[in-house]
Amino acid sequence: MTRILFSDKLDNCVTRWQSAGFTVIGPVTKDAFSSYTAVEHASDFDLGIVLPDRSLKELFFPQTEPMLRYTLKQQSINTEDFTPPSGKKLIFGVRPCDAAGLSIDDPLFGWDYKDEYWFQRRNNSVIVTIACTKADDFCLCTSLKLAPDSTTGSDILLRPLENNNGWHAEELTDRGREALLAIEEFLQEGSEPTAPMAVVPEMFDLDTCVAWLQNPENFESKFWKDISMRCIGCGSCTYLCPTCHCFDIQDEGDTYSGIRRKNWDSCSFALFTMHTSGHNPRSTQSARWRQRIMHKFNYFPGKFSVNSCSGCGRCSRQCPVDMGITETLQKISTLHS
Amino acid sequence: MITQEKYRSKVKKLLADGSVKMVIGYSPGSTADRRRPLFIRSFEEADQLVLDSNCIANLSGYLVTEGLLSDEKRVAIFLRPEGIRSLNILAAESQLNVDQIIIFGFDSIGREVNSLPGEHADEFSEFIGSIKENPPEKSREPLLYQLEQMNPQERFAFWKEEFSRCIKCYACRQSCPMCYCRRCVVDSNQPQWVNTSSHTLGNFEWNIVRAFHLAGRCVGCGNCDRSCPVNIPLRLINAKMSEEVLGSFNHFAGMSTTQEPVLASFKKEDSETFIL
Repeated sequence: MTRILFSDKLDNCVTRWQSAGFTVIGPVTKDAFSSYTAVEHASDFDLGIVLPDRSLKELFFPQTEPMLRYTLKQQSINTEDFTPPSGKKLIFGVRPCDAAGLSIDDPLFGWDYKDEYWFQRRNNSVIVTIACTKADDFCLCTSLKLAPDSTTGSDILLRPLENNNGWHAEELTDRGREALLAIEEFLQEGSEPTAPMAVVPEMFDLDTCVAWLQNPENFESKFWKDISMRCIGCGSCTYLCPTCHCFDIQDEGDTYSGIRRKNWDSCSFALFTMHTSGHNPRSTQSARWRQRIMHKFNYFPGKFSVNSCSGCGRCSRQCPVDMGITETLQKISTLHS
Repeated sequence: MITQEKYRSKVKKLLADGSVKMVIGYSPGSTADRRRPLFIRSFEEADQLVLDSNCIANLSGYLVTEGLLSDEKRVAIFLRPEGIRSLNILAAESQLNVDQIIIFGFDSIGREVNSLPGEHADEFSEFIGSIKENPPEKSREPLLYQLEQMNPQERFAFWKEEFSRCIKCYACRQSCPMCYCRRCVVDSNQPQWVNTSSHTLGNFEWNIVRAFHLAGRCVGCGNCDRSCPVNIPLRLINAKMSEEVLGSFNHFAGMSTTQEPVLASFKKEDSETFIL
């Protein structure tokens, strides 16, 4: 016997969570475009999609965020911090790859300096993940040693029922327990069978790829130039990625007053590494693409013992020139290190 | 497919006799209907060439890749009519020497692919002129009619909503053959002319700056629109600008390799209704 949340009770749950002070968020499709968006009712959710076009990270690490306001009057400088919003969020219908993305970035944002913007949001959020019963050609979680029902980064895991009329609810954390406690009266004990998980074929052998990347001789390999020749150097793979976390700090305003903001930045851009002198240590697009792959599968795991990729496939799915992590690692896995 | 086979051997011949150092075309992509840009330098790569109605992307932007044409060797490229027009603009704006380019012109109706006769840019001028005179009716986006019915406030609200999704990944710029600046104005930070933030104001600034820079230059290839990862209907802005420029200055972008840029040239008969 397990606890079951039937779909027809979902709206009651949403209302209950809202009255418990949560902003309830979930996948919403509008004009054929989907993202994790705040909803009023359960009927606003689009739970039928493979995964939203936009990733979950932006709810924790928005594309632009004010950090402080400054004013200068005669000899005095005033600065006033923006504090991160303190509201509680419950994010329903998260995909396991997006949830894993959050936990991949936790050590990064908490490494030498604890990023209060990230952690305040993390601590105020409940992640309710729904295991995947369908996948598309670009999903690659299994290649990253994750799965359509991975629990990494989730507070609750829901497994769809075979009849598609509800979910098995599995609490994974204290926060998850509390969120389920709030909707206890809408849960039922039952033994309905769950639907089979999506089949996500393994696209490459990760260990082979990592070994190749770790071999210093391959840093200057011709492979990088060949694989990235068609890369146009936009930032869409990095900006839709659930784990890419680079940012830039910019002051907007003038000498006397303005706002300091934290904005997304991307290693795909030439400007990202441009020195004031005009020298650019990553002067070619192939050097930039190499950096992205090396960072995700060599440098980041070297520091934090986890790959900086959760296998959502967004990079490949939306690349204007049909590149992506999958193609690159597939090709690397066939090279001799 | 006959056309594709014909082109594969044509490409091999050009490579073998040294007429070109590279051919830019398409190869199969990661799904059945996706095509990838392909850079052919060997027979092996030539065998990956595909040419069918899914070959949509305008590849002409690759021609201005830094260093590609600096050795004065020739490059061949597969281009649709819009691609040929953008190549003409790149030549007219002195971004490349058009004599270094061999064009494999093609177009498609439904699933059927047709070759366009000619291989030098100048040989397509008459054909492009005919597109100007008889634009295919289907090409006008129905949403444009709707936007024209709106009052300025409604239109502003429409674009505010659309631009609210912009993440400033600059995929529109990077995929656009007309955005060839080595350093874009938004990447200048001494001084910082345009905010880098992707908030409402920043997103408006970016998209409006780009729209103005494309006025009279956009050929409507759709690269920006297809590249946008957040589905902003960028084609509408540029299509409207093209219509305005055509109506005001009788200028159809990319007619020839010597066409003067409309916003950088002056004619006595230009309408000057905006000057008080």
